[in-house]
Amino acid sequence: MRLTKSFKLSLNILLHSKLRSWLTIIGIIIGIAAVVSIMSISEGAQQQLESRLGTFGADIITITPGFSRAMGPGNFGGGRGGFEGESSSIDTKNLTSKDVLMLKNIPNVKYILGQISGREDLTYMTKTATLSITGIDTTVWKDITTEQLSSGRFLTSGDSYSVVLGGDVVSSTFEDGIPLNSKVTIGGKSFKVVGILEEGRGAYVPLDVARNVLEDASGDKFDSISVQLEDISLSNETITTITERLMLSHGIIDESKKDFTVSSPTSMQETIQQTMDTMTLFLGAIAAISLIVGAVGIANTMFTSVLEKTKEIGIMKAIGAQDKDIMTIFLLNSALIGLIGGVGGVLLGFFASTAISSFGGIQTAVGGGRGMMGGFGSSTYVSPELIIGALLFSVLVGMLAGAIPAYRASKLNPVDALRSE
Amino acid sequence: MKSKVIELKNVMKTYKMGKVQVHAINEVNLTIYKGEFVVITGTSGSGKSTMMHLVGCLDIPSQGSVFLEDKNIRSLSKSQIAKIRGRKIGFIFQQFNLIPILSALENVMLPIDFQNNGNNSDRAKELLELVGLKDRMHHKPTELSGGQSQRVAIARALANDPEIILADEPTGNLDSKTGEHIINLLHTLHKEQGKTLIIITHDINFIRRLKNTTKIVKLKDGKIIK
Ligand SMILES: Nc1ncnc2c1ncn2[C@@H]1O[C@H](COP(=O)(O)OP(=O)(O)OP(=O)(O)O)[C@@H](O)[C@H]1O
Ligand SMILES: [Mg+2]
Repeated sequence: MRLTKSFKLSLNILLHSKLRSWLTIIGIIIGIAAVVSIMSISEGAQQQLESRLGTFGADIITITPGFSRAMGPGNFGGGRGGFEGESSSIDTKNLTSKDVLMLKNIPNVKYILGQISGREDLTYMTKTATLSITGIDTTVWKDITTEQLSSGRFLTSGDSYSVVLGGDVVSSTFEDGIPLNSKVTIGGKSFKVVGILEEGRGAYVPLDVARNVLEDASGDKFDSISVQLEDISLSNETITTITERLMLSHGIIDESKKDFTVSSPTSMQETIQQTMDTMTLFLGAIAAISLIVGAVGIANTMFTSVLEKTKEIGIMKAIGAQDKDIMTIFLLNSALIGLIGGVGGVLLGFFASTAISSFGGIQTAVGGGRGMMGGFGSSTYVSPELIIGALLFSVLVGMLAGAIPAYRASKLNPVDALRSE
Repeated sequence: MKSKVIELKNVMKTYKMGKVQVHAINEVNLTIYKGEFVVITGTSGSGKSTMMHLVGCLDIPSQGSVFLEDKNIRSLSKSQIAKIRGRKIGFIFQQFNLIPILSALENVMLPIDFQNNGNNSDRAKELLELVGLKDRMHHKPTELSGGQSQRVAIARALANDPEIILADEPTGNLDSKTGEHIINLLHTLHKEQGKTLIIITHDINFIRRLKNTTKIVKLKDGKIIK
């Protein structure tokens, strides 16, 4: 029998099937819907995670002088505190503008920010406090920084004796506040406050000015170099390239003797990723269980269906059906049950995940939109691969569940089948 | 000399019911030639249906051999037997045995589909016209009367233009007038198309009315007694 004819016949059987078959289909719909919504939510969260990690500085690699094997996640580059001095455990400031040049044309590198930092007195009116002063390259700072402005602006290339203050400086170190555009004194020089950040206990000034103001800032040395990446997923490769370039620049051949540290931003990403993977796995297991239940439902329906159709199977054999024809018809029948369940499941899963995500969106709004987890639900992504995968999978489940009943049907003795009522 | 179409040699069909053995067919020898009109008769339980299953290659004997055109069906695979059955033998049953979800036309097309015999709807329509049901071809079996259903079954039996038509009590579920109509139809097929016709019935009076029978086989307890 031709496949198209078998298909027509099994479709016909399905269309005339009892309520039981449709209930079975509902079982598969629920299973597939669960899988699809879980996958789409986790895929959406994944995409969101990747874009958000950028704002958390996970796309930034920090190079500091000195080398310590104990460098761990604690040295996470773009933390809220700015690029303060804690990483310069070695006095020798051996990062130079030559190193910055060496890093310029590495493929995955978007921006490079050299900076120096030190502690210096800042005076406003009559009050003085010692702050961490960071000199930054004004041309790229506003692009690479993870800081948020509370008022005013970031430093730009035209600035010289301008300063941007951390939010905590204004709110707690100087309890009475420092208004925008007022004058402060740093290291004996007068600066104009052009911007105030939301957080932070330090102050940012242009690099050249910092070299004049900070006591131990000499020549064209840097305390650290931050590199922003285009693509986080390639960070390992980029770290390797950066390390190679700097070793070349510093004339070091043996990697164990290198005099700088390249910190990896990926550790936090990995932690979040692992948590998400665990979550997806757990939810996926639940979805898998509901799919198995659905598959057992199909098998059950098919067994009953074969029993009910014993007489017809006998008739078909009497009029020339071969075992393989009967097998094909019943296998296609259960595959169709799977397919319809799959289509229904994809649709339901799509709507369910959209509904869940809008619920998640409300959560985010309540949470003030600042938390990282808060916004997870607020985007889902049903990829074409997911749709095709879900459909293929549901067909496969249907066929697996229907295989034994179909085989039994094909092996029925025509005489016994004909004698049955 | 006419050519043999079916030959049964020392055929036995035995069913085991616990410790008792039932010989549904017991040491039967029978040869059916091309173009014959054979009637198989006997009381209920005498083994008529079992005989038809053996003659129609739906079943294989417990002992002895069945030859279809000089080929021992024991030497053939299951799917080869299925193919031959579909091509050479058309079955008609007492309960019509149409597939309920298919229309009259689709029921007639089905044997052709199983044989991959190309475009089948024209052939099926012709056959429905032959049995006088062209206007009912899109009806489902439940929408047909008994006589109409049996005529669809006859059209289906003819679908692959088989040499042999095997009918197990074809009129058993019909009133006598409709039954006569069906028998006349089968008669015509025998006379005009030269089909080998094997009809099973338990009704002796019925046999008396049949004309042109070439052989009457009477069964009792699985043995041929006449
Ligand atoms: N599958 C089976 N298992 C056991 N015994 C069987 C089986 N099929 C048939 N028989 C027995 O074989 C004998 C012949 O049965 P068969 O159906 O051929 O009779 P029949 O002549 O067609 O009867 P009827 O006129 O009532 O249709 C009966 O005694 C029956 O009980
Ligand atoms: Mg019988």
